[in-house]
Amino acid sequence: MSKSDANPTKHSKFEDAQAFVYGTAMCALALMMLKTLGLITGQTAGLALLISYLIEAPFGIVFFVLNLPFYWFGYKRMGLTFVIKTLICVALISVFTEIFPRFISFETLNPVFGAIMIGFMTASGLMAIIRHGGSLGGVGIMALYIQDASGFKAGYVQLAFDAVLFTVAAFILPLDLVGYSLLGAVVTNVVLAINHRRDRYIAT
Amino acid sequence: MPAPHPLPKNPPKHTLLEDIQGLTIGLITTAIGLSFIAQLGFLTGQTAGLALVISYMTHMSFSWVFWLINIPFYILAYVRMGKEFTIKSALSVTALSILMAYIPPLMTFQTLNPFFGTIAFGVLTGFGLLGVFRHKSSLGGLGVLALIAQDHFGIRAGLVQIAFDAILFAVAFFLFDAHVVIYSLFGALILNGVIAFNHRRDIYIAN
Repeated sequence: MSKSDANPTKHSKFEDAQAFVYGTAMCALALMMLKTLGLITGQTAGLALLISYLIEAPFGIVFFVLNLPFYWFGYKRMGLTFVIKTLICVALISVFTEIFPRFISFETLNPVFGAIMIGFMTASGLMAIIRHGGSLGGVGIMALYIQDASGFKAGYVQLAFDAVLFTVAAFILPLDLVGYSLLGAVVTNVVLAINHRRDRYIAT
Repeated sequence: MPAPHPLPKNPPKHTLLEDIQGLTIGLITTAIGLSFIAQLGFLTGQTAGLALVISYMTHMSFSWVFWLINIPFYILAYVRMGKEFTIKSALSVTALSILMAYIPPLMTFQTLNPFFGTIAFGVLTGFGLLGVFRHKSSLGGLGVLALIAQDHFGIRAGLVQIAFDAILFAVAFFLFDAHVVIYSLFGALILNGVIAFNHRRDIYIAN
C-alpha cells in the first residue's frame, strides 16, 4: 500500500519515482522527435538543442552542463529537495535522449503532426514532473529568482528568453523549421496553461 | 492497487471547452500509442484488442473493425450510464477510429525496438485514456457490459474484464507467435499500471 493511502494529498516516494520516470521519458521522446525534425523549443532545452545543432555535440551533455549554474538559484529559492529532484530529472532526460535513438528512429515524421505530438508529450511530461515537486531546472528557476530580487515577473523573464532564443534561431535555422518549432512550443504552453491546475490536481 | 478514497463533495466541473481539449489530447495520444503496437503487429486487451485481432486476421482496417464492434455496446451504455456518457463515448470511439486511419502513415519507424515500442504504447495510451476518463468519456465497449454483468449477476465488473482478456490472449496464443502475445501482455500490464496509479478521483478532483 502506498503512503498516500493514509494521506491522499501527499505523494509517496514510489509515486514520485514513477512520475519522474514517466515525465522524463515523455520529454526525452519529444526531444528526440524535435532532433529528428531539426526543430527547437523554448527555455533551457531549446537553447541546448540550438547549441547542440551548432557545435554538433550530443544534446544530453549540452543540456546537463547548461543546467549546472542554475542549481544554485534553485537551492536559494526552492530548497534542497527541489534541487535534488530537479537534478535527478535533468540527469534522466540527458541519459534518455542519448539512449532512445538506439531503440527508435523514424522513417517518416510529418512535421505538423510531429510538432503537435511533441507539444502534447512535453506538456504531459512536464505536468507529471511539476505535480511531483520536480522541474527541469534552468531558466524557470532563474526567472523566479529575478522576480524575488527585482519584482520583474517570472513569466516575462521566460517570455523574453524565448523571444530572444527564437529570434536568434530565425537567423540560424530555416524559417519553416522555426515555424514548426513555434507551433510545438505554443501547443505545449496552451496544454500546460489549461491543465496545470493546483485546485484540481490537489496532491503535492 | 491504491485503495478507494471518499470523493470530494461538489467537485469543480469541467467547462465544455476543457472537455473538448481534454478529449482531443486524450484521443490523439491514445491513437499514437496504438500506432506503436499496430506497426509492431502486437495486441492489447479489451475491445481495442479484439478489434486488433480481427483486423490482423481479416486484413480489414482497425478503424472500421473498432467502430463496428462498438455499436452494440452503445445500447447497453444508454441503458446503464445515461445519454451524456453514451454520446461522449460514441464521439470518442468515432474520433479514435478516424485518427487511427490517419495517424499511422504520419509516423513510420525505421527502427522500433519491440520492448521500447511496447512501453511507449503503455505509457502513451495510459496517459491518453486518463484524459478520456477524467473528462467523463470512455472508448465504449466491454467496460459497460462488465458493469451490467455486475448489476444483474453480481459478478465483479473487473473480473468480467479480466476473464475477457484471458480468453482473448488465450485465443491469440493459437493465432500468433508466442513472442507477440508476451510483448502484448507486457504492454497491457504497463497500460493498466499507469491507469491504476494515476486515475484517482480523490487527487484529480474535477468532474
